[in-house]
Amino acid sequence: MDTLMSGQLLFAALVSGSLYALVALGLNLVYGTLRLLNIAHGDLVMIGAYTAFWMISLFAIPPIISLVLAAALCALLGWAVYAGLFRRMLAKPELAKRVEANSLILFYGISVILQNLAALAFTSTSRGYQYLDTVITWQGISMTGNRLLSLGVATAVCFGALLFLRFHLFGWGLRAVIQRREAAQVVGVNLNRVQLLTICGGFAVAGVAGVLVSMTEQITPFMGFPFTIVAFVVIIIGGLGNIGAGILAGFCLGLVETYGIALTSPGYRSILIYGLFVGVLLVRPEGIFTKAVRS
Amino acid sequence: MKGPTRLAIAALGAVMSLTIASSAVAQDPITIGYSIARTGIYAAAAPSQENPYKLWQKQVNAEGGLELPDGKRRPVEFVSYDDQSNPANTVRIYEKLITQDEVDLLAAPWGTPMHLALAPVLQRFKMPMVGNTAASVQLRNVAPGYIWFPTSAIPDSMGAELAKMMQAEGVETAALLANELPYSQEFRSFLVPALEEAGIQVIVDESYPPDIKDMTSMLVEVREAAPDAVVAMTYPSDAFLFAGQAKELGIEASFVMSLIGPTIDAYRKANGSAVNGVVSSAHWSPEAKEWPKGRKFFDAYVEEFGEEPDALDSALAYMSLEILQQAVAKAGLEPEALREQIASGTFDTINGEVRFDGVQNVVTPTGFVQIQDGKIELVWPESVKTADYAPKQGW
Repeated sequence: MDTLMSGQLLFAALVSGSLYALVALGLNLVYGTLRLLNIAHGDLVMIGAYTAFWMISLFAIPPIISLVLAAALCALLGWAVYAGLFRRMLAKPELAKRVEANSLILFYGISVILQNLAALAFTSTSRGYQYLDTVITWQGISMTGNRLLSLGVATAVCFGALLFLRFHLFGWGLRAVIQRREAAQVVGVNLNRVQLLTICGGFAVAGVAGVLVSMTEQITPFMGFPFTIVAFVVIIIGGLGNIGAGILAGFCLGLVETYGIALTSPGYRSILIYGLFVGVLLVRPEGIFTKAVRS
Repeated sequence: MKGPTRLAIAALGAVMSLTIASSAVAQDPITIGYSIARTGIYAAAAPSQENPYKLWQKQVNAEGGLELPDGKRRPVEFVSYDDQSNPANTVRIYEKLITQDEVDLLAAPWGTPMHLALAPVLQRFKMPMVGNTAASVQLRNVAPGYIWFPTSAIPDSMGAELAKMMQAEGVETAALLANELPYSQEFRSFLVPALEEAGIQVIVDESYPPDIKDMTSMLVEVREAAPDAVVAMTYPSDAFLFAGQAKELGIEASFVMSLIGPTIDAYRKANGSAVNGVVSSAHWSPEAKEWPKGRKFFDAYVEEFGEEPDALDSALAYMSLEILQQAVAKAGLEPEALREQIASGTFDTINGEVRFDGVQNVVTPTGFVQIQDGKIELVWPESVKTADYAPKQGW
């Protein structure tokens, strides 16, 4: 019982939760505005992780700087995917519907291509590097520097995104596109611009998550898929396209996982996570934190 | 078709067939077929096996090729396919290698399930293959014939040996954390009774799923129980997690084992001096003076790939080809003669002498290694150790 009340578990839950929230944020942005199910999302996390690894191994550039580089690289990839694939398709409403339905398969293809390109370029040998692994103890809570950094960056990016959506004019436009796509266009939102910047932003966030993950996990071309799954679970629990709710759901999942394991046993991890997922789908299919929208 | 064109085509054809014929005489390589998991769930593990293959090929070809009983040498060429981490594909690929590609020799695929699926195929086609990266008690039940396993990291003998080692180091209490994947669970099932027999009390016994992302609650339990030993039956990805979080929580046990992972180069790069003192499963070390070939292999590997070979999989993969090479030098390429030679011969490898009885290597003892100053040292058993075991001093 002492363990349950200790700050140690809370720290672990927040580290996991913030990462889940961050990975899900990128996926949710892209789904919300473009209605694309990006199953290659986890592979962007992988690209972020490799960016951090190569930067520190080849040029001694620390991950804190790689955060920016990985974000830029993934944003560029987002731009390429949008300009090359989706811009024209999404412009026509009848075509856009078909793209939405087929996006899962399309991104599956992109996922396989990214994984295999990474395996060809870097080989599938696992990689790792050492960074900020000093343990800091505060109020009896032991925290490794890199996990603390991960918590800080993930939380900051999530809340930064929330504030941006709440207060910036572009954020309003973005939310308008998520809620009422056609109406947003009528009131003068530049749909093309919103979509382009959102896909860049969504991809960039995944790259940032990849850098954070790389500080503590082994890096391989195939490391991304579990993150895709977690991101989907989180945004479905929170409510598809509901950015704030998705972030909250990420933190909730971290808490449920960590405290659930502490109360039961690690063997129940999957049952806890997917139990919550299925439970939400049964009881509130629109997401726990989403108000039902009548259309 | 006009005359000159026809003539030109005929001339081209003649030149081409001449080139093919002459290259066949000059080259005439020995083909070795294998499949490997280049994609799918085992893909991250496969380079530790395929890299030694490539290194061996390069070395053999630099010497003029693979030596045959008549003293002649022929270059080695690999024919390989991706089995996508699926044993059913492995079976199909080896059937194709034998019947359609008509390769001269076979090298092993990655992993226990692939090896087990392959044994009956080899039997059916009567093609010998020296295995490598497979380890399970199930291997002991494979009918002897056309497959052999050089490994000594088989869970039943590992359980018994680890209990002996822990007893020798004065361990009285132990915490067991086991991944739910088969190899870890198999090892656990042999370790628990062996510990009991050795009088070592198990005070924490937890299993965890392979996709675990946080071990805090489990390790807090271990920290509170304060055992003398922590045996984490890890696979590579959770080995990273275990090391990072055991350090974060300040696990103080003097005997710490992590089953699979610590012998991978990236593990030591990611964890640095924190993992000095961690014990792991392997029966080879480049530090062994009695195995001079081992150091040469290690140096060549580091030069070729810019990282250290995995003391378990890479060593086994290289050994399997050394055995094949020495058997071919004596028996040639004829499958029956080769089978007879592998089954009855004694081989000099980077891991010392190897000899088979049935499917198993009966010379190499089951061993354990320890990371000491970033190096992989064999610390158990006494007969082959390269350094004394040293209790872990913090993280």
